[in-house]
Amino acid sequence: MPERLSNRLKACRTELGLTQAELAERVGVTRKTVNTVENGVFTPSTILALKLAEALDRTVEELFQIIED
Amino acid sequence: MDDYVMGLLAGLAFGVLIVAIVKLRMRKVARTPGEKADYLGRRRARMLPVLALLFLSQQASFFAQFGSGDHAPAETVKIAAWLVLSIVLIATLATRGFWLEPAEIRALIDDENTRANRLDAMRWGFLFAMAAAILVYVVTLFDTVTGREAVHLVMSFGIAAAILRWGALERRAYRDA
Repeated sequence: MPERLSNRLKACRTELGLTQAELAERVGVTRKTVNTVENGVFTPSTILALKLAEALDRTVEELFQIIED
Repeated sequence: MDDYVMGLLAGLAFGVLIVAIVKLRMRKVARTPGEKADYLGRRRARMLPVLALLFLSQQASFFAQFGSGDHAPAETVKIAAWLVLSIVLIATLATRGFWLEPAEIRALIDDENTRANRLDAMRWGFLFAMAAAILVYVVTLFDTVTGREAVHLVMSFGIAAAILRWGALERRAYRDA
């Protein structure tokens, strides 16, 4: 069955009042990478997913979910 | 002076001129490393398709005399300049590019998403180069193709496909950013 990765990155980021650029700076990537993860264009590595979760004070499972189409 | 050397020097001079212009423009604005990486990345996304078109347009001289095996001196210069641009584009694909920028900026520019895009572009380049090699092989069954012409075709297809693919992926990544 086809699966895709969904994320709540944008919602969690805006809850904390962070811009894409500020989150990108916290995890050491460019704003482009944060944007592509938020839009579902790019699936982050485990390392980046953990860094994003830490930066947003969430667990990885809270940020990312597998959705079956 | 040998025509090929002149072509190589012309290509190098063109590259140095572009780097000098970029450096002068960058000095005018103070940016954080993140902002600078973002600016350079966006500029790269805009420039990649242009570079691919420039690269392909350079082929006109070569393909105009394809099969003759003999090139006029002026055309030989252009073909040698193509070799310089080819090497620069391959090096950009294989490394992070932006060789004159500080290590911190280079690391940011080549972050996870860019690396993924770059690797995907190289995969496309490889597949197109192989397709070109197969095409050349088929052509040699019916016509004579010199070694130089074969190399030129394989490199052109491979590099142009990789650069275009990278440009497309980078532009898509910056959409809505």
